Amino acid sequence: MPKALLLLILIATLTLQAQQPVAKRSMVIAFQLYAGDQPLQPGTCYTTPQGDSVYIERFRFYVSSPRFNNSTTRQANGYYLVDMADSSSRYITLPINTAAPSQFRFLLGVDSLRNVSGVQTGALDPLNGMFWTWNSGYIMAKLEGISPQSPAAGQRFTYHIGGFRSTQNTAQQISLNIPANHRGDTLWVRADALRWFGPGFPLRIQENPVCHSPGALAVHIAGNYRHMFLVVQP
Amino acid sequence: MKHRITISVLILIILSCTGWIWADHAYLKPKPVTFTVPQGWPQPVYDFSQNPLTQEGITLGRELFYDPRLSKDGSLSCGSCHQQFSAFATYDHNLSHGFNNSLTTRNAPALQNLAWQKEFMWDGGINHLDLQPLAPITAEHEMAESLQHVLQKLKTDSRYRRLFKAAFGDENINTQRFTKAISQFVLTLVSSNSKYDRVMRGQDTFILPEKLGYQIFQQKCVSCHPAPFFTDFSYRNIGMPLDPVLQDLGRMKITGNPADSLKFKVPSLRNVMRTFPYGHDGRFFSTINLFDHYRKSIQQGPTTDSLLRKGLPLSNFEIGQLTAFLYTLTDTVFTKDPRFAPSGSGPSASPPKDVH
Ligand code: HEC
Ligand code: HEC
Repeated sequence: MPKALLLLILIATLTLQAQQPVAKRSMVIAFQLYAGDQPLQPGTCYTTPQGDSVYIERFRFYVSSPRFNNSTTRQANGYYLVDMADSSSRYITLPINTAAPSQFRFLLGVDSLRNVSGVQTGALDPLNGMFWTWNSGYIMAKLEGISPQSPAAGQRFTYHIGGFRSTQNTAQQISLNIPANHRGDTLWVRADALRWFGPGFPLRIQENPVCHSPGALAVHIAGNYRHMFLVVQP
Repeated sequence: MKHRITISVLILIILSCTGWIWADHAYLKPKPVTFTVPQGWPQPVYDFSQNPLTQEGITLGRELFYDPRLSKDGSLSCGSCHQQFSAFATYDHNLSHGFNNSLTTRNAPALQNLAWQKEFMWDGGINHLDLQPLAPITAEHEMAESLQHVLQKLKTDSRYRRLFKAAFGDENINTQRFTKAISQFVLTLVSSNSKYDRVMRGQDTFILPEKLGYQIFQQKCVSCHPAPFFTDFSYRNIGMPLDPVLQDLGRMKITGNPADSLKFKVPSLRNVMRTFPYGHDGRFFSTINLFDHYRKSIQQGPTTDSLLRKGLPLSNFEIGQLTAFLYTLTDTVFTKDPRFAPSGSGPSASPPKDVH
């Protein structure tokens, strides 16, 4: 009798064991949203490189296929939406090899294949409000707020940056160097919202309070914000 | 001894349970449906491997297509603007009357043979059929909220939870399943049984005006409206002057390329006698108005189609014969097919009620 019981227990433990994931080393990418050299807060006034005053209410961007330069595999389902309104969205955990990586890379935005493959799930679910329905395609990044310089209704500025076709492409390959003296399991990456306004292309709210479609303006703004990231030490 | 029996029974129970879990529950799985390609037609462009048709999926899609709760105020379903009698166009309305949304700036096209279509809308702005339902549902500015709202409404309805489970294996309701189900239904809307098709299959013959009309069509129209779809799915400008109110630049809105200004997708002419009014903004009340446009008022601009550089002359006689031919493209098997009507009601064989 006890033998049979033992057998049952043995089978049960074996089945359970098969489901245990293998522990792996990993690193957390922690995005810090900034405006210039201050942490970004809603309801706070900042000054853009063009001298405009802005209150930033919404700030979101897609991080696709994040990886380290020495990663052997890409993340299987590597699409993340970093959102000012959701602090948990700012952390991405990535597997790491034994050797210390010297670069962190990702696509800022969503690759063109995902833009033409129908309805996606997870971070790419159109439910997240980052998808244009009348001209299929992802909004790669969003920045919205209020500025006294804006001639638009409610003094708003609204930048929805997207476009994946060759001449309108706004997805940006980003590579960030990791300092050799980096320690710990967290990589802090600062994203500076004010870099949307320049230098590079001087984005003046008075002239361009709105960008709502793929095209030259979107490409210019994406050319600005590709420089908004900086690896920092805590 | 007593224990041994208990244990044997226990083991038997466990074995049969695992057996049940591992078994192939064919009777619980959605029943696959094969998509039939009409004889002589090309292969569809829709990737069915990503969304295999099943009876349960199609049923769910039909429910959704006819459910007015998909609209913000609960008054409109897809079927209100896409009416079966009219080959799923809006019958007798230049612009569909909806809530005050951007869609109403265009005439609702027929929904048929969508599996062969790569881009949707008059300007081709939507690049995948699964994405199409999102446009009418979220046409108003803040999209995320209303889509969220629709899914919420579905999730709280136990009937939908059952239908989603039957179609997809569990009760989870998300954007992807929702849109795939609608695609499954609209993909079944294949129109291939008009008199024209029967004639081509050798099962019927044209009467003389139809035959003459067909010959004229082959000369003057077929370069843009080729069989079997009666469209080449390209974007062209047939010289319709810009409407000063709508300011609709068509394809250029999508590509940003001035060379695409005033170009619109060549519409299919299947069931065309049921889909009036005509043109992307429904400005032609009848085919007669449209023929008059082709022969008299093509506006020559930088993007007007090169085939129309010298206009498109049509005599009254030719118009008569062409009209007879266009009538042969009406497919009443399609417009009366009970599988495409709202469940529980008969097919909509008569003109729909006015939906002003
Ligand atoms: C308010 C009326 C209205 C409602 C409701 C509506 N549609 Fe439409 N539909 C239109 C109009 C108008 C167009 C053409 C728009 C354009 O080209 O800009 C269209 C276009 C389409 C097309 C593209 C056809 C083609 O050949 O390019 C499809 C597919 C479609 N609708 C499916 C649906 C589905 C599915 C629903 C329900 C989720 C729906 N529609 C709800 C009015 C409506
Ligand atoms: C140069 C290409 C071209 C030629 C040639 C052409 N069409 Fe068209 N046709 C179009 C385009 C493009 C439209 C849509 C125009 C719009 O609404 O902007 C259209 C629209 C139509 C429509 C309206 C359909 C609807 O649902 O709104 C009908 C009917 C039609 N054409 C019939 C004909 C006939 C009959 C001929 C031959 C006499 C013909 N066309 C020749 C390109 C062409």
